[in-house]
Amino acid sequence: MADVVGAVFDALADRNRRALIGFLAERETATATELAAELPLTRQGVSKHLETLWDARLVRRRRRGRETRYRLTPEPMTEAMSWMAAVGAQWDERLAALAAHLAAPAEKVTRERAEEGAARTRTTRRGQP
Amino acid sequence: MSSEIRREVVFASSPDEVWDALTDADRLAEWFANDVELDPRPGGEGIFRWDDGAERHAVVEEAEAPHRFAFEWADPGEAATTSVEFTLEEVPEGTRLTVVESAPAGPRACMAEWAWAAELQALAGPVRARVR
Repeated sequence: MADVVGAVFDALADRNRRALIGFLAERETATATELAAELPLTRQGVSKHLETLWDARLVRRRRRGRETRYRLTPEPMTEAMSWMAAVGAQWDERLAALAAHLAAPAEKVTRERAEEGAARTRTTRRGQP
Repeated sequence: MSSEIRREVVFASSPDEVWDALTDADRLAEWFANDVELDPRPGGEGIFRWDDGAERHAVVEEAEAPHRFAFEWADPGEAATTSVEFTLEEVPEGTRLTVVESAPAGPRACMAEWAWAAELQALAGPVRARVR
């Protein structure tokens, strides 16, 4: 999943591409020429950015006669947002586990033993199930 | 907000204690993963395994005891890596730990332009309406 998400993040890392997504979100479909009229970009520049969005599966394109119309397919963006939420939740869990680990009495026993350098035979944290 | 995950926690432990918990493989196996191999030096490699079958491979980028520990990691077989940075700071209550995990970078990574996520949130409204 990270590979898909990486391509989306790359695509969204550019201000103009984010603006293109914003314009496409307000329309059913648009051509590069129509989008170039909305942005300080040439039609060629818009086409290049649309190519990057297409690589990340964020737009679909369909040729109609002589023009190519682009449509936003934002599902990969939802995936990217889900990825961020999932990774955040993982860190919340890990940091809670770290707090418990740092506070664990068995851990303190181990630490005291290390400080005293004594070869005591009390149960250490390794003895936990 | 930016395209990274950031958490800050204060622990009632010294920076040295927190550092050990973050960098010692045996201790990491007690809270972070189920099985850990780690050479916590710059360039050192690490393998984290979880009981559910998940596995991540890491390469240490920075290790400045007891202040800064950073690595890049990825699922085996995936090209996209993310970086994880731990920063430890001594505070009156103990240690403030900041962890930052970056969003994955793909082949077109442009690190100078990572401040887009707030705009992404703004886009999410109209975009959600288009998800069928």
